[in-house]
Amino acid sequence: MAISQAPCSIGRSFERLYSCLRTLVRLSQSLTQFFIDGFRVKYFFVHRTVRGLIIPLAIVLCALLANAGAAWAGKNSSLEIGFVGVPPAGYQNVLLNVISVRVNSKATAGPGNGGWQTIPAPPGVGGSNSSAELQIDLNNLQDTPQLFNTAGVKAGTYKVAEIRIDPNISGYLVPTCPTAPPTFGNADGCITYPLQLTNTNTITVVDPNGVVSTKKGKLSQLILSVKLQNLVAPTVSGGSYTGTVVISAPTTPILGTITGTVNVTGTPATPSSGTNNKNRKLSVTAEAIGTNTPIATAQVKNGSYTLFLPAANNFGTLYDLAVTGGGTNLAAQRLAPLFPLTNQSLTTDFNIGVPSSLGNLSGQVTDGCKIKQPIVGATLAILLPPDSNPGAVCSTDPEQCVAVLTANTDNAGDFPLPGSISTPPMFDNIPALPKSGAYVMEVTAPGYDPLFVQAQPSMGNGPGGCAPLGSSTFSNCNLTLSTGYITGSIPISPPVPGETTLVQVFAEDMGTNNIESSLPMPVSITHTNAANCPSGPFANCVPFTINVPTMPIPGSMTPLPRVFDLFATTIDLYQGATDPYPGHSIAVESEVVGPAPPTSPGVCATATPPPFTDLIECIGHGSVQGSVSNANLGTSVVLEKADPANPDNLVLITTTPVVNQMENPSPTNNYSFCAPGGDVYAVQRLQLPTPEPSEAPSAAPSPALDGAPVPVTIPPAPLYNEATPSGTPGGPTATPTPSAKCPTNCTNSDGSCPGICKPVIQGL
Amino acid sequence: MVSVNQTMRYLGRTVGMAALSIALALALPACNNQSGFSGAVGNTPNGPRLASYEIVGTIGTPFTATVANQDSSWTFRGNVPLSVFICNNDLPAQVIATKTTSSTALLSLEIINANHVAQLQSTSAPFGTVSVQAGGTLTSIAPPADPDLRIFVSGPASQKYQALVEDSKTGFIISARAPTLIMFDNPDGKVDATFFGAQDFGTFTVNMTLGGIVVASVMQGPNATIRQP
Repeated sequence: MAISQAPCSIGRSFERLYSCLRTLVRLSQSLTQFFIDGFRVKYFFVHRTVRGLIIPLAIVLCALLANAGAAWAGKNSSLEIGFVGVPPAGYQNVLLNVISVRVNSKATAGPGNGGWQTIPAPPGVGGSNSSAELQIDLNNLQDTPQLFNTAGVKAGTYKVAEIRIDPNISGYLVPTCPTAPPTFGNADGCITYPLQLTNTNTITVVDPNGVVSTKKGKLSQLILSVKLQNLVAPTVSGGSYTGTVVISAPTTPILGTITGTVNVTGTPATPSSGTNNKNRKLSVTAEAIGTNTPIATAQVKNGSYTLFLPAANNFGTLYDLAVTGGGTNLAAQRLAPLFPLTNQSLTTDFNIGVPSSLGNLSGQVTDGCKIKQPIVGATLAILLPPDSNPGAVCSTDPEQCVAVLTANTDNAGDFPLPGSISTPPMFDNIPALPKSGAYVMEVTAPGYDPLFVQAQPSMGNGPGGCAPLGSSTFSNCNLTLSTGYITGSIPISPPVPGETTLVQVFAEDMGTNNIESSLPMPVSITHTNAANCPSGPFANCVPFTINVPTMPIPGSMTPLPRVFDLFATTIDLYQGATDPYPGHSIAVESEVVGPAPPTSPGVCATATPPPFTDLIECIGHGSVQGSVSNANLGTSVVLEKADPANPDNLVLITTTPVVNQMENPSPTNNYSFCAPGGDVYAVQRLQLPTPEPSEAPSAAPSPALDGAPVPVTIPPAPLYNEATPSGTPGGPTATPTPSAKCPTNCTNSDGSCPGICKPVIQGL
Repeated sequence: MVSVNQTMRYLGRTVGMAALSIALALALPACNNQSGFSGAVGNTPNGPRLASYEIVGTIGTPFTATVANQDSSWTFRGNVPLSVFICNNDLPAQVIATKTTSSTALLSLEIINANHVAQLQSTSAPFGTVSVQAGGTLTSIAPPADPDLRIFVSGPASQKYQALVEDSKTGFIISARAPTLIMFDNPDGKVDATFFGAQDFGTFTVNMTLGGIVVASVMQGPNATIRQP
């Protein structure tokens, strides 16, 4: 193989043209170059050609400029789109695939007319190509809206808004277990059904007075209420639900507003020369409190900013603000709860200085237990005390601080991931702290102990330095995270020949739903490869080894070694597609004593608890649903299962929000779970404390179990394909011969399959 | 005095030139990012068009994923967003991704085929799992790929590029945005790749791993080449 890298002989200014015209040469090809400049044979031909081309080229240029002008014209305001959902009752998930939202100033504008301003699915969030789309679950949008995207539009009054839904895959429905006879033979619940829309895939709302008005240089908001109605269930196996989507504008405000100023004292620093010579723009980012999850970002223009954010009515939503970019110092604020009332907007002003210089921070994160093993996908966050709590010590009380800058590691464990020319990574051009000060940086990865170090940006384009807490010796940021292991086994009924069961194991802090880790890859169990159980009544087991943290939870007085609850679920298929809720039972084990912290670098402990006493077996789907009394927007419900070895210990498996609360028409305060049938669970209320109005909390509030757990038994799904014994009673029985292949990989050894699942109603 | 014939000749020439210039106007932008993989050159014939597996959602959400086809499987960790391609993909293929955070951040898996979303599954559940399949039903997870050759394009972020990834027999054309993870299943001989960005693209940051060990790295732009040593 040879590489086509011959230099152009015509000067760098022409390189762009020539690289364009050069035929692509593959690496496997011999050195070959094809240029098209060989046409310059006779001078007069070129002269005549140029003369002849003047008029047509001018026409084409004018046409192109006219189009460009139309495309650029007046994208001088910003429009933020969000959704709230009005789903039909009785569904665990109501999923719609949204491509974009368009607005037009003409009320009569049709899909093919001009003048549409498009807000597409955000890149990275909804995909990375022009075909990107965002999947929204109407069930999760009933009480608080979800932001879709913000894009530049022409200032004006828009009278029609249109939502574009994927015409090929409009969405999916996951019904809970049916309470009435099914519409066809094996119409199971808790599985995915495709959705076909009976109206077109471009759904509009029209208001002659305007659905939204945008102003030059201002951010405006448009929230669309998306309703799915007139649902008709499929009548044949593999069929689709049909339904109609209708959109409207909500009548009550459901976004909160944060406005303020950012006053910069001094001349902002400029990046040092090199590849990272562009600053991120000065902006304010709202994050969910205590996390590095950005909800919305606003650029600071003329010293002020505005954010429209989802806000829980009569409860309040908590946010952190981070001010970054622009060659200024960093700043952070923790806010009082935000309410969806336009006359109760929060005003947050920042007065920030400028640094003496800007620098970078880069390095590598590796596994402290395996030499040179990079940790991929680790998260690094620069923490800053909020202005409301400037004395917070981020190294010991990280929950009181705000993550202002975030980076991740790549597949070699290196950080940060590169940005682009216009948007450098957050860890480039970090303002230097005065007096050679250092930031507190938190490094986390699932299954590893969090690490807190001091981080000092470079002076110029170097990698910067890191130091242990309390040390003044800075070196390269080559960081290691410590961990430990839990090795165990879970009994399983192996699948029938030709089928595979994928088992995933989770570790969470005992008595909480704080999951710390999962297997990096599910364990694949076939008819023959299950391991022998080391002890207990079962023959076949799933062996597993899972990483878990070994140090105390930051900010808590957890004794060592840490104690975990483990649970295992399966990843099943239904009619060849992914089953969103497994048909195998969930196995749990409580009070698993974890490994001790490493005694020295590289010496990591492994804990080996006794095997699970819970069996993973094929039992089919099931669901539990009901209403919750006196719920508010901080209420959720947790599904628990008792450890057979310690029946008093409940292992928290999953949570679900209470949906369709007040402010919605006909509120029901419903909850529902899809969980394997034929098993005993408990449901319990989980309550987030109501934030104090007008008071910024020092840390994100934690939800707590509220009230006693309520036992609930989900009935088993009846079997079908069951072989009918033949012969005389007491005599030999016939070999089971299944009459049809099960739709799922959850098949019993006698060929029978779990049938249509059954629901149970349980109020709280 | 200009004759009628001359006038007609000028008119014809002008119309002809207009047609030529329109053709040029349409053609030139197309090669602005040096695209135009004709398949007419080189010793490696084009492989089939590759589907991309997009792991998207709330930016930065950590996940662990397993990609499997009939012959091989690959496991990796990462953060949203990430585009995944499998060269020499032997369908059916399955992608399973599990969020590795207790937050309610969104994790979506998309299969993009010929610029259309062929499948889309999402989860917001803490440590939620999503899975998609392409080209049929994969009844079991194949053993880990051997050799396990991966190319990771970590930047520049979100910028669209094209690439030609090839072994000694087949070349695969990829159109994607970084970060991208490219796996080459059962390569025939050594693998190399050339990445093409637009002139204002910035710098590619690419590394190639074999069996989990980085064997080649390159930082170059707007075009970059990486070769298996």
